[in-house]
Amino acid sequence: MTDAASNLLPATNEDTCGPYFPIYFADPALEDLTRFDPGVVGAAAGTAIILRGRVLDRHGELANGAVLEFWQANANGIYRTPATEGHEGIDPWFHGYGRMRIASGAYEFRTILPGAAPGRAPNVTITIFSDGINRIVTQVFFDGQAGNDSDPVLQAVGDDAPKLIARHDGRTASGAEVYVFDIVMAGPGETPFFDDLES
Amino acid sequence: MANQGRILGIGPTDNTSDQRTPRQRLRLIPEVARESFVPVVPARYAANPHEWDMTRTAPDRPRAAGVPIEVTGRVRTASGRAVAGALLEVWSANHFGRYRHIEDHSGLQLDENHLGLGRVLTDDAGRYRFWAISPGAYLARPDIGRWRPKHIHMSISGGSSRLITQMYFPGEPNNETDPMAILMGDAFERNLGIPRDAGDVDVEEAYDFDIVVGGRNATFFE
Repeated sequence: MTDAASNLLPATNEDTCGPYFPIYFADPALEDLTRFDPGVVGAAAGTAIILRGRVLDRHGELANGAVLEFWQANANGIYRTPATEGHEGIDPWFHGYGRMRIASGAYEFRTILPGAAPGRAPNVTITIFSDGINRIVTQVFFDGQAGNDSDPVLQAVGDDAPKLIARHDGRTASGAEVYVFDIVMAGPGETPFFDDLES
Repeated sequence: MANQGRILGIGPTDNTSDQRTPRQRLRLIPEVARESFVPVVPARYAANPHEWDMTRTAPDRPRAAGVPIEVTGRVRTASGRAVAGALLEVWSANHFGRYRHIEDHSGLQLDENHLGLGRVLTDDAGRYRFWAISPGAYLARPDIGRWRPKHIHMSISGGSSRLITQMYFPGEPNNETDPMAILMGDAFERNLGIPRDAGDVDVEEAYDFDIVVGGRNATFFE
């Protein structure tokens, strides 16, 4: 059975992940992209950062049990995709995909500051799954980075651009730059989310 | 392509959906930035050999209470390409409607032979197979008497394909009042397992559930 209008197969409906996404499926390597397997020499290139914040519902309450996924370019601004296989700018020790379930609704993701892809400011795509909703998607930028003023995504959201920019909040003793980014799922101060089905 | 993004629906009688569903129309992604919104999940062979059989907690343990079922299907993109080597993460309640999750405070009965967690990989043709206990329905909203129909959660990730969905069971009386099923409308039938003969396999029921990962992301690099 195909979709008569487009000749595509009809998609299985997305559905909520519910409140009980198994903690069992957690993978520490996906929660800290600067982590390297013990006993092995190597490290992702770039500036270590901690991206932290809260996921909030429309009453300002923490969205407990949400699952966050992260996707970013490496320090050279190169995404690791089928289109860049063999590219000289690939970092062999960095993939760029992260995931975590956040029991409390507060998150802390360790990674490296992404480089700027051509025509873009450094950014991380964040996918959010949670009880009550299907997949929603946004993109976070970093305060003070060159290119924020001309980034097409920030320009597309107009006056809401500040809602997509993480605030720099100092540096840890271990040298990681800290950025704070709250995601407001609904209501006052709602974070802009993007439609990857209709665009 | 549409010239404006969707407004997301709020699941009727679902408090969490009311609290967490964005109210603003989703923004369109500028074409120059479109590729940056296509996460590519690395191959994750995070499946232990016995995890395809969720009817027991380990190969040397007895079967859990309830009806053992087999679920099989193919994972494809909307263009029909098989999604090979994808990771399916599967989770479901036990026969009594209870999840073995530290945050499930329903008080429903646990089963010492049921974990309700499994992971399998798709083969080169995108096929998968697992066994599970047919999950119990449970009372999701005691105040209004709304039940959550029996369902199995599945998360599919592989390449640029990413989907979290649920398989429901045909003919269940609570299907019609499920908030997310209501939002799906007629398309809900795509999320129903299709009963088939179990053959000589050691289960009582069997279902086919073919999965199509929709959207442009899944086909972006085809």
